[in-house]
Amino acid sequence: MNALLATVLQLVGVALAPLLPGTIQTLKARLQGRRGPSPLQPYRTLRRLWSKSSVAPDGAGVIYRMAPPLVAACALVAIAIVPLAGFSYDLGVGHDVLALIGVLALGRFALAVSAWDTGNGFSLMGAARDVMLAVFAEALLALTFLVAALPAHSTDLGRMISAAAGVHPWQQIAHWCGAAAFILVVLVETGRQPIDNPDTHLELTMIHEGPLLEYAGRDLALLQWSAQARHWLVLLLGAELFLPHPLAFPGALGALALGIVAQCFGLAVIETAQAKMRTLRAPALLGLGCLVALAGVGTFVTGVA
Amino acid sequence: MADALDGGERFAGAWATSTGGWRIALTRGSDARVLACQPADRRLDTVVDMVGAAVWDEREAHDLYGLEFTGHEPMRALIKHPAQPEAWLTPVTGPGVHQVAVGPIHAGVIESGHFRFHCVGDRILALDTRLFYKHRGLERAAEGLGPDQALAYAARACAACAVANSVAYAHAVEDALGLEPSMQLRRQRTVLVELERAYNHLNDIGAVCAGVGYAAGSMAFSALKDRAQELCSQAFGHRFMFGTVAVGSGALTLDAGAADALRQRLRELRADAGAAWRDLQFAASLQARLEGVGVLEHDRAIQFGVVGPAARASGVLGDVRTASPRLAYEGFTPAIAPRGSGDVASRLQMRAVELETTWEMLDELLAAPLVAAYTSQRERASSLGIGRVESSRGETVCMVELDAGLITRLHLRTASYANWPAVAAASAGNLLPDFPLINKSFELCYACADR
Repeated sequence: MNALLATVLQLVGVALAPLLPGTIQTLKARLQGRRGPSPLQPYRTLRRLWSKSSVAPDGAGVIYRMAPPLVAACALVAIAIVPLAGFSYDLGVGHDVLALIGVLALGRFALAVSAWDTGNGFSLMGAARDVMLAVFAEALLALTFLVAALPAHSTDLGRMISAAAGVHPWQQIAHWCGAAAFILVVLVETGRQPIDNPDTHLELTMIHEGPLLEYAGRDLALLQWSAQARHWLVLLLGAELFLPHPLAFPGALGALALGIVAQCFGLAVIETAQAKMRTLRAPALLGLGCLVALAGVGTFVTGVA
Repeated sequence: MADALDGGERFAGAWATSTGGWRIALTRGSDARVLACQPADRRLDTVVDMVGAAVWDEREAHDLYGLEFTGHEPMRALIKHPAQPEAWLTPVTGPGVHQVAVGPIHAGVIESGHFRFHCVGDRILALDTRLFYKHRGLERAAEGLGPDQALAYAARACAACAVANSVAYAHAVEDALGLEPSMQLRRQRTVLVELERAYNHLNDIGAVCAGVGYAAGSMAFSALKDRAQELCSQAFGHRFMFGTVAVGSGALTLDAGAADALRQRLRELRADAGAAWRDLQFAASLQARLEGVGVLEHDRAIQFGVVGPAARASGVLGDVRTASPRLAYEGFTPAIAPRGSGDVASRLQMRAVELETTWEMLDELLAAPLVAAYTSQRERASSLGIGRVESSRGETVCMVELDAGLITRLHLRTASYANWPAVAAASAGNLLPDFPLINKSFELCYACADR
C-alpha cells in the first residue's frame, strides 16, 4: 500500500512539474501588464513536441541520442529521492541528499556532453557557461544542504525535513542563513534571472537554453520536461527545508502547496524586476551564497545562537 | 580632397554612376557640394586613407559598379557574398582564437544579417558583419522613372525610417529642380520627422532593456512606442506614416482641433515616457549592465564618420538639424551628451535627452493647424540635388541625378549605413554575451543599409 501511495505521489510530481514554469510565466506576464499565456501552456508545448519526429544534426552520435533519456531519467530518480509532504517511502533509491546532488550533476553533465557531440557553437557556448557556473552552483547546493543536514544529524532527506518542521528551527541563525542561500540555489537551478534568462531568443547570451538548441521533437520534450522537473524539485525542497511547515501529513501538504505557489510568485517578481547580470559576475553572486551558507554552518558548529 | 577636409568640410557619402563615374559629397553647415570625376578604365585613387568613413562606399562601388580603388587594400567584399572566407573576413589568428557565426537567420524577429565573431573564450577580438542579404536593387530600379514614381523606392527602403528617407529624397529632388519649400511645408515635414524620431527613440530605449532581459522596462517602452505609433496612425493614417511625403508639395492637413488633440496626447505620452525613464534610473540591475560596455571612443567615432545619437554620445557634436534650411529647425541647438563616454549607457541617455527636445519641438509645431503646402521656384533647375535629414539614427543623405526630368541615379546613404562599421569597432574587446546589448544600443536598420 505504501509503495503504491509513494508511486502515486511521485507521479504527482511528474505531472505537476510543467505547471510551475507555466504559472511563473503567467504571473510574469501579469506583472508586466500583459495577458500572457495560460499556466497550462507548457503541457500544450510538450504535447506538440511529443507528436513531432526528432531531427539529429549530421555527425551527432550516440551521446547526442542518449542525453535526453538520461537527463529525464536523472530527473525522475531525483523526484523519487525527495519525499513529498514528509511521506517517505524508499522506492529503491533512498532519500540521501548526497545522492540527489549526484543525480542532478549527472543530468547536467549529460547535457553538457551532448553539446560537445553536436559541435554546435551556441550549444557549446551554453554548455561551457553552464559547466563554469556548476563549479559554484554545486558547492552552493552542497553547503546549503549541509546547513539543513546539521540539525538532523543525517543526510537523509526524510529526517532533514522533520528537523526543519515547526517553529523551532527559526530560532537558529543557521536556518536563516540556509534559507537565504537557498534562494540562490532556486535561481541557478531553475535557470532564471539574474543568472540566466529563460525567455531570451538571443543565442549569444544563452546558458541553460543553449544545449537544447539542436534538439527537436520528443528529445526536446524530454529535455523541457527535465527542466520543469528541476523547478518542481528545488521549489519542493525549498518549501520542505526552508519554509515554515508542520510535521503532520495533511498540514504539511497544505503548507507545501502554499510554499510552492509563494516561491513561484517570488520568482516571477524577481524575473520582472531584475535584469540579467553580467556573465562573469554570476560566480561572485554564487560565491556570496556559499559564504552565507558557510556562515550558517559556522554558527551551528560553534553553537552561536 | 585633402584640401576640402582641411578646409573644414565633412565627407557625406560617395557613389558610383552607371557610366563609371565617381562622386563624393562634401558638406559644410547647410552647404553641400559634389566632387565628380570620370576615371579612365574605372580605376582611381582611394580616399580611405584620409576618410575612414568612405570604406563602405568604396567597397560598394567596387562590388556593384566594378570600380577599382588604388590603395584600398585589401578590398574586401561588402555586397557580394563570396564563398571563400578570406575574401571578406578579417584575418585573425593566434592560440585559442576561434570563430562564432551568428545569423543570417536569427531566433527572433530580426532582419537578416550575419555576424562572424573572432573570439578567445567569451572575449570578442574582432567582428565581421555581412549584411545586404536583402539587397533589393532599389536604386537601380528607380532609374528612368519620374521623381514622383521614384519616391516609392526611397520611402520603402525601410519602414522605421520611411519619413526621414522620403523627406531626404524630396529635398534632393527639390534641390535639383530649384524648388524652395514654403514655411508650411517645412513645418509639416518637421512634424513627421520628429514623430518618427519619437517612436524610434522610445523603441530603442525599450530594445536596450530587452537586451539585458529587463522585462519591466522593455514592456513599458514597447507600450509607449505603440502609443506613439497609434497617434501617428490616427493623425496621418499610417503607423509608419507611409504616403505622407510628396515631392514639391505636402497634402497633409490637420485642423486646429485635431492638431490640439494630437498635441494633448503627445503631452500625456511625454509625461508617461518621463516617468518610465525615471523608473529605469532606479533599476540597479539594469544600470549595472550599461556602463563601460561597448565603448566607442571619440577619436574612433570621428574616424569612422559615425553620425546621430551614437556620435553625440561619444562627444562628437554634429546634428543636421542645426543646418536644415529646408525644415523648420530655426534656433535648434543639438542636445549635448551629458557623458561623452561613448558606452551603452551614454547612447541610451542620449536618446532620452533627445526625446525631450523632440517633445518640445512637436509641442511648438502643433500649436497651429497644418495646411496643404507647396514649393516655389527659387532658382534654375540643375541635374543634381542633395537632401540631408537627421533621422532618429543620424544623418541620412539622399542624392539624385536628373536628366530630362527623369531619375538617372538615386543614392540613399542612411545613418544606419554610416554607423554599421562602428558596431563592429565598439564590440571588440567586449564579452560575447554583451554583444546583443551593444548592437541594440546602436539599433541600426538592416533594410536601410540593404536597399
